[in-house]
Amino acid sequence: MTHSVLSPQSHPSRSASRRHLLHSLQAVDAIERSEQPAVAVEHDPNAALISATGVYKSYRKGKLIIPVLKGVDFAIQPGEFVAIVGQSGSGKSTLLHLLGTLDEADAGEIHFEGNRIDNLPSKAKDVLRNKYFGMIFQFYHLLPELSTLENVLVPSMIGQGILGYWWSRHHHVRRATELLEMVGLGHRLTHKPKELSGGEMQRAAIARALVSAPQLLLADEPTGNLDRQSGTEVMRMLRCLNREQNLTIIMVTHDSTIAGMADRTVRLVEGLVERVG
Amino acid sequence: MFKLILSWRYLRTRYIALASIISVTLGVATLIVVNSVMAGFSLEMHRRLHGILSDLIFESVSLGGLPDAQWHKDEIGKVLGDDLVGITATVQVPAMLSFQVRGQWITRQVNLIGIDQETYADVGDFSQYLLHPENRRALSFLLRENGYDERLPESGWEHRRLRVEYQRAFEDQLRQIETSRQAARGEPLPADLAGMFPPSDPYSSIPADPYSTTHGEPQQAERFDEAKEQFTGVILGLMIASVRHRDPDGQVRDHFLCRPGDDVNLTFPTSPPSGHAPTAQSARFTVVDLYESKMSEYDSTFAFVPIEELQRLRGMIDPETGVTSATSLLIRLRPGTNLAQARDRLMDRFPADQYAYRIQTWRDMQGPLLAAVQMETTILNILLFLIIAVAGFGILATFFMIVVEKTRDIGVLKALGAPSSGVMSIFLSYGFSLGTVGSGVGMVLGLLFVHYINEIAAGLEWLTGREVFDPTVYYFQEIPTEIEPQMVVLVLIGATAIAVLASVLPALRAARLHPVEALRYE
Repeated sequence: MTHSVLSPQSHPSRSASRRHLLHSLQAVDAIERSEQPAVAVEHDPNAALISATGVYKSYRKGKLIIPVLKGVDFAIQPGEFVAIVGQSGSGKSTLLHLLGTLDEADAGEIHFEGNRIDNLPSKAKDVLRNKYFGMIFQFYHLLPELSTLENVLVPSMIGQGILGYWWSRHHHVRRATELLEMVGLGHRLTHKPKELSGGEMQRAAIARALVSAPQLLLADEPTGNLDRQSGTEVMRMLRCLNREQNLTIIMVTHDSTIAGMADRTVRLVEGLVERVG
Repeated sequence: MFKLILSWRYLRTRYIALASIISVTLGVATLIVVNSVMAGFSLEMHRRLHGILSDLIFESVSLGGLPDAQWHKDEIGKVLGDDLVGITATVQVPAMLSFQVRGQWITRQVNLIGIDQETYADVGDFSQYLLHPENRRALSFLLRENGYDERLPESGWEHRRLRVEYQRAFEDQLRQIETSRQAARGEPLPADLAGMFPPSDPYSSIPADPYSTTHGEPQQAERFDEAKEQFTGVILGLMIASVRHRDPDGQVRDHFLCRPGDDVNLTFPTSPPSGHAPTAQSARFTVVDLYESKMSEYDSTFAFVPIEELQRLRGMIDPETGVTSATSLLIRLRPGTNLAQARDRLMDRFPADQYAYRIQTWRDMQGPLLAAVQMETTILNILLFLIIAVAGFGILATFFMIVVEKTRDIGVLKALGAPSSGVMSIFLSYGFSLGTVGSGVGMVLGLLFVHYINEIAAGLEWLTGREVFDPTVYYFQEIPTEIEPQMVVLVLIGATAIAVLASVLPALRAARLHPVEALRYE
């Protein structure tokens, strides 16, 4: 059941659209490469699912420039469950946002499946986030006006036009329902987020992140706002997804116990990768 | 799809948006009501003006008028060709009308119009405004037996006979009393007292044919029996013959000072031969009908008499050739004819430097009035659209609040892959929904208000004790309305466009939100 929900075969249009996107990404990347000198860092596209090379990022606060990332280099292999740890202000969430194309680095490159993605046009980044990345947040960020089922359906609605969604709505609803049943919320389909507990909201957020059958799940402090039991439950779910579905997960956390459940950890200290364990 | 769902949910859950909807609703409803009333008033006024004035008015500026009216008719016929449907000659002169009511003389300044009863109906809707149904079918200057409008007390021959009988009986009684007094005293009646008795015919000093006074001594007419005969007929505007007031029940009533069957005296200038000054001419006429166009300007000044009688009285018939002149020609054109072009063709044929004529369309004649109504409508529309614009600012403020409130959700949507255009569409759709719902409800309210406007006016009068619509002022019994679908559609489009435009800035702000900053927004 779980396998059928998450496997690419259960999403008939996914493979084709993925191929199409990758072609377009490669095309965009090729254009960019032809116009700019290539960065002198070699990547093996078959080895890393996502990688960061020499990534710099700073924020401006008035006249003050605060450097956050000072040349981060690391790579994540397909099927890995990696925890990024570090103290507050070490740049964990900033790095996750850069990997998820929500923000732009000042310098450096980010590659996904061997294709540079940090310099893509915003529309391509939107497609990437919608179809290839799943995101979960510390505060769940479910839309309060929508029911649990509708929240899970939002990525599908975003990814298709009105008519396209309307024609395939039964398929999308079936898939979202299966995902919600998988995370144990089959009885909460019509409930609004305010009627759910914190753990339930995070599980609904996980279902939303999985609805597009992404290749990479980016989790920003997924247990940070949950009690111990709910946090453990969510971690068990992520672990299960990683092991059974070979889903690549990058999780940001400051909790070393939670980080210990990942395959390995990347520790950030003052904007630099201090240790990869 | 998410845009539609979210904008719909925002519409349902953000009650502050209701304030914006209500503003749009009220604005649209008010615009529809005001435009419908103005259009109804304007249409009614146009209909009446046009009905009275015909399409083109060809008039002479001189007192003597157009010499040889028939030649002018023929020339106009040649110029207009097939476009000409009807043409009639009229004589229009200022006049003083006087009549007695209970021994008091009442005078009115009137516009005396001599009309051809055979052709006048061809150029306008004059006969439709007459009070006697037979006259509405076939115009006649002969007094009818009775059967006038129900508002009139007994009129026509019936009233005339009763009035003469009453008058004669009263005079006989006075004479008897005085004769018996004289007999008792054995003295003759003093000469000054004798003058106090009204003569049996108060108009005896005015000849039945006053025209004759301009051409020699008055002829001794045969004894005129008022109970059986009438003078030349005259049709008076309703407001000349009546005063309008409210009865104790609040109903508007007309009190008639004179009515069909009464005699009136008209004094007007003659058309003197060249080199002579005009003189005043008086003649008696019998009121044969009243005229109610519901245009107070006309109903209070127009008096109609047969043209041949007025021509004769004013000396507009050449005694040698019998050729008649007229002061104006009224022209009816084929429907769809361009009036301005037809007017210009006639102006080319009768250039102003050669002919002292004034050629105008009915719109030209009532230009200032029509322009005033048009301007009033335009200004009202601008003011009312400003109300909707104010509603637009309400939407703008509301939307900015919602964008601030929804900043995190916008960040989430962007994180899930929603493009900036999609986020913008949410708020544009929201604005469109507000505009559509507000306009739709406003349209229904407006149309209902227009449909029941007189009932609503009556209700308001009952509630406030103040008169909302005074028929004695507007001369309409009911508030006239006309719903123009084009106007309704324009109002709806305008209101929706304002709502959408008001949501553009907040939508742009939402679209430009940085996803990370939006997600971190507290």
